Amino acid sequence: MTPLPTWQRGMRGWWRRDPAFRRYLLREATSVAIGAYALMLLAGLGCLVAGPAAWQRWEGLILSPVGLLLQAVVFAAAVIHAVSWFRLMPLTIPPLGRPGRRLADGAIHAGAWAASALCSLGLLGWLVYGA
Amino acid sequence: MTDPETILIEVLRWHPDTPEAPWWQSYEVPYRADATLLEALQTIKDDLDGTLTFRWSCRMAICGSCGCMVNGRPELSCHLLLRDLAPGPVRLEPLAHFPVIRDLVIDQQDFLDKLPAVGAYLVPAEETEAAAAAPAAPSRQTPAQMADYYQYAQCINCLLCYSACPQYGLKPDFLGPAALALMARHDADSRDHGQAGRRAARDADTGVWDCTLVGHCTEVCPQGVDPARAINRNKTASARDYVFDLLLPGRRR
Ligand code: SF4
Ligand code: FES
Repeated sequence: MTPLPTWQRGMRGWWRRDPAFRRYLLREATSVAIGAYALMLLAGLGCLVAGPAAWQRWEGLILSPVGLLLQAVVFAAAVIHAVSWFRLMPLTIPPLGRPGRRLADGAIHAGAWAASALCSLGLLGWLVYGA
Repeated sequence: MTDPETILIEVLRWHPDTPEAPWWQSYEVPYRADATLLEALQTIKDDLDGTLTFRWSCRMAICGSCGCMVNGRPELSCHLLLRDLAPGPVRLEPLAHFPVIRDLVIDQQDFLDKLPAVGAYLVPAEETEAAAAAPAAPSRQTPAQMADYYQYAQCINCLLCYSACPQYGLKPDFLGPAALALMARHDADSRDHGQAGRRAARDADTGVWDCTLVGHCTEVCPQGVDPARAINRNKTASARDYVFDLLLPGRRR
């Protein structure tokens, strides 16, 4: 049997077809921003090792208006990243609990946010009072 | 607000006799608040233009035949009321990512070819080597055990999820949402003993790892199947088996 003639449409500009696709790309792009932030911190560490002059140059850069703006962008990206990651978390872990008493998505969300709040507060506390 | 007399429906049409020239055609269809979009298409076919081609059967969102893109989103046309689409215009296209045979009719052969690969059937214990010697016993299942897969078993093969998946559009080899959800449905069934037989398809580079969790499949599924969850939970199983195979070579023998 000869196959039927068909029309195959392309994928050009597929992200323009649905806002859901743009939300997905935005979510993925936030990891680039967070990766860049990690590199920036690593550079700071390098400068700290290199000596006071290098450290002051790095500090000047991150406290400059451009540096602060970039950090604001990274912060926004981190918030989007965390929200979307926690939202998808129940989809990516195996069912928890026993059949009939499975942990609900809401409980997983709440647990993830509680753990993240605890870590953030712990880190903040250590920065302010500890060390 | 008074109801409109008519609603404008625009259809992207394609005919194999003029393959280079798909075209948009508009129809002014009599409006009824309780009519479905499928009924509007039937009105076009019966009264306005008998050449318009589309699939349908059950008219009640259970056969999975009538899928098409409605204003860019995959939908069952029998599952939408005109009153929710008024005042229009309503733009209809054949389901995205599939080859078009004619007008709103797509070729679903690719999906049908993929179904056998995911082992979408229960493998009873008798068919596994370990149980070959034991006498056959009835496979009992509690409601709680059934709840673990019931949602995945609701698929009606409408393929809306494939049209919502850019990964499938970009890489047609990908087994895709519905097929992988059926795989998960059988893996999660307490009566099934066929997980090992589905591993190769699951772990292949056309299997679960082709999914990047766009997640739109779950949003468009008319049956609440949640293929995104089914696939991504199987990623955990795939990773677990990979690690255990590394640590304990030969554990399956
Ligand atoms: S998973 Fe949902 S959207 Fe996909 S084919 Fe099945 S019923 Fe349709
Ligand atoms: S006609 Fe059967 S699902 Fe729409």
